[in-house]
Amino acid sequence: MTTLETEILIIGSGAGGAVTAAKLARAGRSVMVVEEGPWVDPDAVEPFSIDEMVLKYRHQGASAALGSPGIAYAEGRCVGGSTEINSGLYHRLPPELADEWRKTYRIAEFTPDVLDKYSDQIESEMSVSYLPGAPPPSSAALERGAAKLGWRAVEFARVFTYDSAGRGTKQTMARTFLPRAVDAGAQIIAECRVSKLIRKGDHIVGARCTRKLPGGEIESLTIRAEHVFVCGGAIQTPTLLQHSGIREQIGVGLKFHPTIKVAARFPRAYDHADVPMHRVTEFAPFLTIGGSASRRGHVALALADSASDYRDALASWEDVVVYYAAIRSDGSGRVTALPGLKAPLVTYRMTDADQSRLARGLLHLGEVLLAAGATELYPSLAGGTVARRAEDLVDWWDAFTPSRANLMTVHLTSTVRMGDDESRTGADSYGRVWGYRNLRINDASLLPDAPGVNPQAAIMTIAARNADEFLSHL
Amino acid sequence: MLPPMLWLERQVVATLASDVDHRRRLALEGYVDGVLRAMPEHLRMGVAAESIVLGSGEWVSRRLGSRRSLADRIGGWERSRIGPIRQYVRLLSSLVIFADEELAPEPPDEDDE
Repeated sequence: MTTLETEILIIGSGAGGAVTAAKLARAGRSVMVVEEGPWVDPDAVEPFSIDEMVLKYRHQGASAALGSPGIAYAEGRCVGGSTEINSGLYHRLPPELADEWRKTYRIAEFTPDVLDKYSDQIESEMSVSYLPGAPPPSSAALERGAAKLGWRAVEFARVFTYDSAGRGTKQTMARTFLPRAVDAGAQIIAECRVSKLIRKGDHIVGARCTRKLPGGEIESLTIRAEHVFVCGGAIQTPTLLQHSGIREQIGVGLKFHPTIKVAARFPRAYDHADVPMHRVTEFAPFLTIGGSASRRGHVALALADSASDYRDALASWEDVVVYYAAIRSDGSGRVTALPGLKAPLVTYRMTDADQSRLARGLLHLGEVLLAAGATELYPSLAGGTVARRAEDLVDWWDAFTPSRANLMTVHLTSTVRMGDDESRTGADSYGRVWGYRNLRINDASLLPDAPGVNPQAAIMTIAARNADEFLSHL
Repeated sequence: MLPPMLWLERQVVATLASDVDHRRRLALEGYVDGVLRAMPEHLRMGVAAESIVLGSGEWVSRRLGSRRSLADRIGGWERSRIGPIRQYVRLLSSLVIFADEELAPEPPDEDDE
């Protein structure tokens, strides 16, 4: 058994772990980051391709929260975490939501001024920008449809840089904060899975891991550390804590944005290389309409989700783009570590109000796409009929039931909530786990709720804030 | 260690991909096998249990001389009143549809002609 030592161990290299690593390493601390997944060159595979799913997705994308209905979800499992597989949309935490969280969970130093300061820091390092020039047709369609209906639509900023020809490069953690952390002295160990934290009273003294060596052999490893940050995301973080015997308010209250899709066929070919950057925000924050990955395989999947004959549409798949309606959910779920198994049991219960909101969202999505000029709409409803006119959308309302809706999600949060109200949170206002002096969480788990938008900006902002607070005690 | 593709899973995938050429079908089966092995253990166990139950029924009915094709049976499972049976077919058909389209050869570039 090999033993390594470090001052600060960071478990997970996604949006939370990478920011934490860069902050602490730049402050001169000894930092080691361990990541369960492999290092994959960000240019090695095409975004949203089958190769990307095999290399970078946990379970190759085959994860699901059980419930009625079951909801498929995706997580990254590679150096850089989910920032390597998402669409790179960037949206600051809405101030009214931060205010609500601050009051409800008694979160200290969570005012707009504080959060803006850290958001400014993150954005100065992340090339948060808007698309230069006109949006691609798939994105412009949302803007056009919303304008015809008198609805609000906006282009979301993204963490992209653009070359002189307008070609964008997503600024993932593997391209930004992780190399900067390494430049400042941090060490990153890929393909190193932490199975358990080693507890001693109210201290964590290290972690038990298995590491895949370059030759393929598996090595048992103990990493001793003075401080531990767990940044594995809203599913893996509570799983590790529970496997380590830490269970109080851990893994409960899982939140995400249940999402339903529609494949929209247009009279001509649209773009498919990128994800639309416009969002219809008329009903935000409770309902957001946007565009999804629309490679040939995604188009086929979305078309097949309805029971309609889709062969003709698939034959001209270049004319088809996948869009979605996502809601902020009143429901919640749970992450439960299962003894002897690596993967946890994930469950989620949607409320009746959620289902109604999602059904309404599906209809609004249909309205905006027809207004944008789509000629055929295929909903992700088993037995859902193809809509060609606004009158056809009524059938979708009747067809929407938990057993027929095919739902998915990507934004998972809230399984170790932060705040000083100990009865409702798993960690204090800065992510320190209750009952442990040197164990901190710094990822999506801390967010008290799913924010209604891509949470990456909120995760990074909060991670930077928490890292600074940690440094102030050293 | 999670089980590789079971007999019925292989049969279902072969049936769903019956019009795919041999080489692509092998790649497709390899992809489905990889996903089934990579699934969360408890979900894989559930799928495997369904494969054993449904596969036993299929095997017995074939022994008894049933002429009903597996394609017909899959159609019946898709419309089943039992949610997990519908989801079983949906899982395998989703994997096949996605892989089939993603592994499809790119059309020749017009500039190359």
